Amino acid sequence: MLANGEIAPEISGSRPPAPALVCFFKTDCPACHLGLRYLDGLSRHYRGQAAIVAVSQDGASATQGLADALDLDLSIEFDSTLRASEAWGLEAVPALFLLDGRGRVCGSSQGFDKADLNRFSSDLAGLSGAAPAAPIRSGDGNPDFQPGCVSRHLEPPSEEEAAPALDLYSRRGLRASRVEVPVGTEAEEFCYEEGFADPLPVVPPTVERVERMLAATALAGDEIVAHVPPNYGPASVEKIAANAVMAGCLPAYMRVLVPAIRALCDERLDIHGVQGTTHFAAPLAVINGPVRLDLGFACGSNVFSNAARANSTIGRALQLVLRNLGGAAPGRIDMSTMGNPGRFSYVIGENEEASPWGPLSEDFGISHGRSAVTFYCAEPPRPVSEHKARSAEVLLRAICPVLANLWSHRVCRRQEALVVIGPEHAATLGRCGFSKRNVVEYLFENTGIPLREFDGDGGEGTHEAKWYEECVIRGEPCYRKFRRPESIRVMVAGGPAGKFSAVLGSWATGPRGSQMVCLEIE
Amino acid sequence: MATTLVNPLDERVPPAGSAPKRLETLESARIAMLDISKPGGSIFLDRLEALLKDQHGVSEVLRYAKPTFAKPAPEAVLADIRKAQPHAVIEALAD
Repeated sequence: MLANGEIAPEISGSRPPAPALVCFFKTDCPACHLGLRYLDGLSRHYRGQAAIVAVSQDGASATQGLADALDLDLSIEFDSTLRASEAWGLEAVPALFLLDGRGRVCGSSQGFDKADLNRFSSDLAGLSGAAPAAPIRSGDGNPDFQPGCVSRHLEPPSEEEAAPALDLYSRRGLRASRVEVPVGTEAEEFCYEEGFADPLPVVPPTVERVERMLAATALAGDEIVAHVPPNYGPASVEKIAANAVMAGCLPAYMRVLVPAIRALCDERLDIHGVQGTTHFAAPLAVINGPVRLDLGFACGSNVFSNAARANSTIGRALQLVLRNLGGAAPGRIDMSTMGNPGRFSYVIGENEEASPWGPLSEDFGISHGRSAVTFYCAEPPRPVSEHKARSAEVLLRAICPVLANLWSHRVCRRQEALVVIGPEHAATLGRCGFSKRNVVEYLFENTGIPLREFDGDGGEGTHEAKWYEECVIRGEPCYRKFRRPESIRVMVAGGPAGKFSAVLGSWATGPRGSQMVCLEIE
Repeated sequence: MATTLVNPLDERVPPAGSAPKRLETLESARIAMLDISKPGGSIFLDRLEALLKDQHGVSEVLRYAKPTFAKPAPEAVLADIRKAQPHAVIEALAD
């Protein structure tokens, strides 16, 4: 790589502009695709004030194909001979160079890194006198960092044709094909035979029905909302609409489906892993805000069951998208040992009207009064019954043993929990003056596994005990179940009668597993 | 009248590919193993490595691991394997 202070060499016989941010890329590198999307945004911001130049290591045809798929407006130069790549000393792409007003390198990096992009953007603004672009956010659905690929000029020679690049970031896709149902065949049966459906009957996605669905959104049919793991099939608005029709959705539900699919495919949720796991986990969607009432989401009685069209059909549409575009069909990629009824549909609304606290979405920074969808990869609900408790402490004490058994009772520190408090329990906690934080802290402090359970039998969770945290709960030496209080989330849902709550265990958690993802619904 | 449906499936055509040629012998071969990092996986791979060396004459077993079983192998790990140019790679699953 060129060092700071060196003059940037020519690219295809011309000096690069200065000051400028120059990015070398190749068309089959996913990290380059990701970087180009953000560079394109910076280019639009700095247009006419500072130069942002992308340099392709490939030919015009492959480069144009990528530019179309990513919807790029960026200025692209070519280094098809790879002489510039060699002269600039590239090892990997994407490779970024910041050039000062005299064409000298004053910063460089390789691979995709939001922090680098933000730093270069800020420095470019300083060099050019332009107003700096808004920083690229962490947690916007894309990874913060992604290693790059070896620069084209350093690739080992090979006679074999390279596999095509994994397409993760294109923004425009092909329109869906049309399929004629043979005369004399029931359309519903045809859908089943063609593998469009889960085992329940579907509404055939006729052109007219899909067009009605598309009319409910301002987005173009060929706009790609996300690429659905694990096969990373492009979820265009039209494909989402077709699956929504099959699930029985109303056109108005597109308002929720589009951000929900974006959240479902957010890299933090890691639906890639969840779709292939042998565990029980399935993505649960929690709906908050006015959209619950606008679209009639069930938040009260039977919240986890078949109480409302919005919950049942939106949940089913999400599952159809995962199956039809993500490729995770049961018995093939989806190899869950026991499965989860939530794989048909798993959507609940929060009963905000019965809650003494702010909504779940507020915990993720969404303003109170705004609508949002939050995903959590969850086991089926585990019931809690406590009909006698008159104090918060006695009530919460009934929840602790259910929490203690999550995953496997001697496994500690690895799991998270969503505690869905029923309205009668919520009223008790509210009357006792317990804030949501008080509830979480009580559950954290009082959930543990007695040390006497670790008697050397070698069962699951016992080998890791040396990393567990010891504590004393009601006089009993224990290992603490959870790593931190934030491992437990609390919300309110369910009907007005019955002193029940529910506990939902997690899948693998944290940055190396699945993290909850919350996005606003416009 | 015929009913026309909008195709709800992923319509991309998977790239045609063929399996690489099988190794004619493991004698003196360099074999890479990618451990997906499931608990207990390394115990199985240790045994497999010993069998490859002791019974099949494999000269070297190169061990790699994903940071987590829950996510795809990062490009950096795959690049390391490619750079080492082993004769074959075993991606070891678990469960």
